[in-house]
Amino acid sequence: MKLGFLVDLSRCMGCMACAVSCKAENDVPLHSWRLRVKYIDQGEFPEVKRHFVPLRCNHCENAPCERICPVSALHYLPNGIVNVDHNRCIGCASCMMACPYNAIYIDPITNSADKCTYCAHRIEVGMMPACVVACPTHANIFGDLDDPESEISKYLKEHKDIMVRKPELNTKPKHFYVRGSTVDLDPLSSERPEGYTLFTEVKFLDHIGGH
Amino acid sequence: MLGSEVTFDVALPKVVWGWLVSTNMWAKSIATGSFLLGLYFIKKYPEKDAFFRKWVPILGLIFIGITLLVTVLDLHHMFRFWKIFVFAHFTSAVTLGAWVVSGFVVVLLISFWSWITGNKKLFDKVMIPGFLLAFFSTIYTAGIMGEATARELWVFPAEMIQMLLSATLAGSAVYLLIMTIYKVEMEEVKRELGYILIGSAFLSGMMYLGEILFARMHSEFSHRAVEILTFGSLAPMFWLGVFLTFIIPTILVGIANEKKKYEYALLGSISALIGLWFVKHSWLLAPQMLPLS
Ligand code: SF4
Ligand code: SF4
Repeated sequence: MKLGFLVDLSRCMGCMACAVSCKAENDVPLHSWRLRVKYIDQGEFPEVKRHFVPLRCNHCENAPCERICPVSALHYLPNGIVNVDHNRCIGCASCMMACPYNAIYIDPITNSADKCTYCAHRIEVGMMPACVVACPTHANIFGDLDDPESEISKYLKEHKDIMVRKPELNTKPKHFYVRGSTVDLDPLSSERPEGYTLFTEVKFLDHIGGH
Repeated sequence: MLGSEVTFDVALPKVVWGWLVSTNMWAKSIATGSFLLGLYFIKKYPEKDAFFRKWVPILGLIFIGITLLVTVLDLHHMFRFWKIFVFAHFTSAVTLGAWVVSGFVVVLLISFWSWITGNKKLFDKVMIPGFLLAFFSTIYTAGIMGEATARELWVFPAEMIQMLLSATLAGSAVYLLIMTIYKVEMEEVKRELGYILIGSAFLSGMMYLGEILFARMHSEFSHRAVEILTFGSLAPMFWLGVFLTFIIPTILVGIANEKKKYEYALLGSISALIGLWFVKHSWLLAPQMLPLS
């Protein structure tokens, strides 16, 4: 079994139901995230387009976070999930330096590294990840990549425009996007002006979770 | 369709590894550099080895102590640091580094004991493992940087040589400093230390310039990180570091060696040690300034 995710970006309408359900399911503290939806505006009025991109851990097959963790707090489960053991983590933040997707945060309450686990605890009892259940448009498609009959495998077979984030780094992400573009997946392809934009302040935090 | 702009996102931390990590690398350069150079001078000038047999353990223990202190302080779970030994994950350069540095600390303690008791033979026995442990303690950080896939500027092979050059630069600077302060009369040794400092500064400076000017960037990410370092928000810190580490010491130590005025070497050494921290810090921060997702 090799679990994977696929997001059909043409279905995503940026409602954030996935991000909210993830926060509720996994007790993700304020200004931390396991899954977030980024908005990108492209073009000049009246030729404008808004992109919505759900971002989460890619559960890379060749995961740099797993390799660098000095205490194996980040580890593979037999179903391919890259899981995290909060009690073992020493909080060195090496994984944050290694993950090319900014998928890991240090939880300010537990002081341990945390990230999307594809809701490993729900999978264990036969449930779908919380974000999949919450999505009103079924943009999130989750399943076994090894099973040719699974919805995700069929999707991957049917679509030619499959993308992953930063494929050049050879991390072998198990999280795919269809009907996307470079603007959606390349963090450097869009400007990121600091300041108030839509409903929030777009900025970097200098530090969270202590140091 | 024209350009694009992020209009909604969650604020993410910019700098995760900050001054504690730069200080770790800086102090480690001094600890390992003073050890490696100390061994060299003990071997080369056995009749004048008392100075180095005293200062190798003192400098080593002080600066490796600083390294370990800032490392543990930087952990979000500092009281769990011991887990690195019992749950060691050997694909991680962090783990390898922890083991190697621990071995280096043992060698330093032995050399300290050998100096206290005057038992030279004891230190002589651990010189070879000490050399290896100091060498690997210097370069393991380059291994960590190489594993930090997200930060493409920290290229592994170049970083490894930079770490070694930082060690010889910092080691020679700190010995010149002490020799001038304590008015140690070992002309030959001082001159040689001066040449090591100038050589290390020159090579290291050239490597940085080579990487910045001529290296083929792996990606737009490293290209942008270099831009931030050389022309962007980190440029003042980086160029100040380059000036203090490579240019000023080369001039001052060069004058000291030519004119036998070792007060110049004192100033050059201080400049090199301060500058090295700035260079390391700006290099550490640059790739952390960019958004990853
Ligand atoms: S996306 Fe990041 S956190 Fe997730 S497995 Fe890959 S490297 Fe690790
Ligand atoms: S912060 Fe925790 S999970 Fe991340 S590398 Fe360090 S010990 Fe491992």
